[in-house]
Amino acid sequence: MIRFENVTKRLGRRNVLDGFDLKIKAGETFVICGPSGMGKSVTLKHMVRLLTPDSGRVMVGEDCVSEATGRELERIRARFGVLFQGGALLEWLTAGENVGLPLREHTDKGEDEIEKLAREKLRLVELEDAYDKHPSDLSGGMRKRVALARAIITEPEIVLYDEPTSGLDPITSRTIDELIDSLRKQLGITSVVVTHDLHSALAIGTRIAMLNFGKAVEVSAPEQFMKSSDPVVRGFLEAQYITRRGAWEKGLKL
Amino acid sequence: MGRNVMLNLRGLGQALMMLFEATLYIPLVLTKRRRPELFNQLYITGIKSLGVITVVAAFTGMILALQTGLELRRFGLQQNIGTAVAVVMLREMGPFMTALIVAASVGSAIAAQVGTMVVSEEVSALEIMSINPVRFIVLPRLVALALMMPILTIYTNILGIAGGALVGATQLQVSFQAYIDNAQLYAQNKDLYVGLLKAFVFGIVIATTACHQGFITSEGAVGVGQATRRTVIISFLTILVLGYMLTRVFYR
Repeated sequence: MIRFENVTKRLGRRNVLDGFDLKIKAGETFVICGPSGMGKSVTLKHMVRLLTPDSGRVMVGEDCVSEATGRELERIRARFGVLFQGGALLEWLTAGENVGLPLREHTDKGEDEIEKLAREKLRLVELEDAYDKHPSDLSGGMRKRVALARAIITEPEIVLYDEPTSGLDPITSRTIDELIDSLRKQLGITSVVVTHDLHSALAIGTRIAMLNFGKAVEVSAPEQFMKSSDPVVRGFLEAQYITRRGAWEKGLKL
Repeated sequence: MGRNVMLNLRGLGQALMMLFEATLYIPLVLTKRRRPELFNQLYITGIKSLGVITVVAAFTGMILALQTGLELRRFGLQQNIGTAVAVVMLREMGPFMTALIVAASVGSAIAAQVGTMVVSEEVSALEIMSINPVRFIVLPRLVALALMMPILTIYTNILGIAGGALVGATQLQVSFQAYIDNAQLYAQNKDLYVGLLKAFVFGIVIATTACHQGFITSEGAVGVGQATRRTVIISFLTILVLGYMLTRVFYR
């Protein structure tokens, strides 16, 4: 579905991605984790051409997103929904208007229909009551859920999540995890999740990649990921008190 | 030094490209979906800066009348302050003072808002949704400022001239009627039109500078502060220089 082919990206004086290869399959929840500054968000931004590779290419299905321009790029981007780290809701619009924005801008649907669809998506993230509230009146977790509703209102094939649970309490984090998981199960959406939170990664990921110094040092299913002998992976697991014989191995996945 | 010049030239080029792109979208601004945002921006630009403009306009006229009146009185010519105030307000001070206030209040606010939108990834979110940020953010602000600046300038002119009349009547023994007659005798329609043209150009300068500085914001809150500061400085300098050039073109 999404392929990185020998992608290199230099930001400042450092190669954030260095001959980077990655394949993400349709219908999976692919989790990208790794230390800060090692290219997780940069990887995500390449998928929707918020960044362009210095060399190599990024494919989305048959489309080469790293070379597309104009209408072609718009068409490829329309296949995506993106949940940004802080939600990136427009502050002067209400939650409902934010969710309906892509439809209002790109379709001929009437206001009533847009409102109905926006309410439907807000119900999906259990926030229908927030329709008339402004983002400033919502908590961090609620903003992310509204942003998620906005990301999926156009029914995209792929949803990208940039640190969906960062800064949230553990209970809200698990609610977001459940939402991501249910979107995959109910709608068949391909998800790419960037996170530090390995509890979350192990719970929702069908495969997990560990990035370090511009390369993926480990790409495997959660069970194998837990058993990885890569020092960065081990360091991450141990720092979050996840042991090889932890709860995750006993089938407590969502 | 050379590098700074190149960076500034590149910035100017980017800002002009953005302005050009925004003008291509102008026909869209009155479509049903864009209208509410335009009216919102007209309100923010026009109504919200009215208070400070009122004070500045009236006192500008009063100071002009007093300074010129006191000098003219030495030659017994103080009845001419009507002309002095009206011509200076219409040609120069009306659009100039209005532009400075709007740049400092509305321009800086636009830069801060757009800068914050960039930093909090709202602009990236718009791009992903294939919503053109120039059409969505720049267009309504540009049109609102280009429309409101001449209107606000007319208001500034009226208040300035009235302020001058007040000083004339209370301090320089120039009656209200004499002041108005004198002003009408020498001030021409051309003075008004050139002033309004300047105001229109200044509106475009402020909107373009503010939006461009907002879009190139980086580095979080510090970056937003810098964008705001640069917007005010660049707008002030451009208004001064362009104001002089326009005067030079129309009055030889």
